[in-house]
Amino acid sequence: MDFSFVGAYWGDFTEGFKNTIYASLLALAGSFILGILLAVFRISPWKVLRILGTAYVEFFRNIPLLLVVYVFYLGLPSMGVDLDGFTSGTLGLMVYTSAFIAEAIRAGIQSVPTGQMEAARSSGLSYVQAMRFVVLPQAVRIVIPPISNQFLNLVKNSSILGVVAGFDLMYFADNVNSYSFQTIETYMIAAGFYLILTIPLAYATNVLERRLARTN
Amino acid sequence: MISFQQVNKHYGSFHVLKDIDLDIAEGEVVVIIGPSGSGKSTLLRCINRLEEISAGNLMVDGQAVHNKTTDINALRRGIGMVFQHFNLYPHLKVIDNITLAPVQAGGISKEEAQKTAMLYLEKVGIPEKAQSYPSELSGGQQQRVAIARGLAMKPKIMLFDEPTSALDPEVIGEVLSVMKLLAQEGMTMAVVTHEMGFAREVADRVVFMDEGRIVEQAAPADFFARPESPRAQDFLSRVINH
Repeated sequence: MDFSFVGAYWGDFTEGFKNTIYASLLALAGSFILGILLAVFRISPWKVLRILGTAYVEFFRNIPLLLVVYVFYLGLPSMGVDLDGFTSGTLGLMVYTSAFIAEAIRAGIQSVPTGQMEAARSSGLSYVQAMRFVVLPQAVRIVIPPISNQFLNLVKNSSILGVVAGFDLMYFADNVNSYSFQTIETYMIAAGFYLILTIPLAYATNVLERRLARTN
Repeated sequence: MISFQQVNKHYGSFHVLKDIDLDIAEGEVVVIIGPSGSGKSTLLRCINRLEEISAGNLMVDGQAVHNKTTDINALRRGIGMVFQHFNLYPHLKVIDNITLAPVQAGGISKEEAQKTAMLYLEKVGIPEKAQSYPSELSGGQQQRVAIARGLAMKPKIMLFDEPTSALDPEVIGEVLSVMKLLAQEGMTMAVVTHEMGFAREVADRVVFMDEGRIVEQAAPADFFARPESPRAQDFLSRVINH
């Protein structure tokens, strides 16, 4: 192994790392908000919303991420919408991950025993109040492990940006490899950068989980 | 206070409640007994619209419960309910379990609600548990908190859905004595239970249900001494003679 080439390309790695963080944070925030909305659709008392939510979730979680990103990157220009690689990759990631997050949230809400909703409603609280004060606070504890799993996947899946010239870590790693021919070393360094993001995320999840378990 | 008029309910093809006529007066304690699956709990749950009726008329405190224009949340504030499995909110302390509805739905200040909550916790005998979480309490204590929670909105009616069925035998008494106290104070109560001793001692009237129908209703002394229907005679011989 020879890492002496790294100094010359260090700027590429950090630029890619920075863009991977941006893409991950944007997609993370977007997919979380969209996921909550879709989960609410899926358990809504109105059938139309349930069908919409279910259709979205089943469609996007059962097709490949690469296909979704290609539609944004290669498909939309034919309809006059021209998105750069970073934007289409991040949007694709958001749209795709939100389906998984919606599923995790829905399962969490539905795992709260029905007696909780009944007790709250029978005391005169409205549906929204019962959700807010009784059901959701309990669902959050259940939902944290699967959601953080999805966040971890999202960070790793952001490497899809490398395929559509999204200037992320993977894109720059490919570049460095093609100039330096130090393939193993290059990708090991890229792996190190991903771990800098994912390991603290996994650790923070564990801490949060333990803290919530204690107060319960 | 509560009036069922020819109430019927179906779950799909299953006919759960058949031609129910039942009146419960203010201050009356009515105990509903019968074999499992006879529709007792369903009947009780119709009173605060946890179940919808399919046909007939159901009036509670002067309002048609199943009329879509009835403000169900307002009506429910006047009806306390106690469940078989307590259904306390596990993420909230005992005191917050009790004050949630008064503060959020009743528009009462937090201090006022807490004062009232402590009053009811004293009434059910566990004021020292106010700051505990439900999981730190025994089953009997949890059910007493649930009764305090039901009382916190100062309801006109209390519904009890098999309140002692999930309890260990040695703590059933502490829950029943709280219920007895309420009855003596004049609370209007509808109680689904298998506790025949409670029915005999506390009820003003016993309602016997079987297969979705009210088969027989009478004062407890009469009902337990001389059940009229063969079905009730059979039921009583099974639950009492062993």
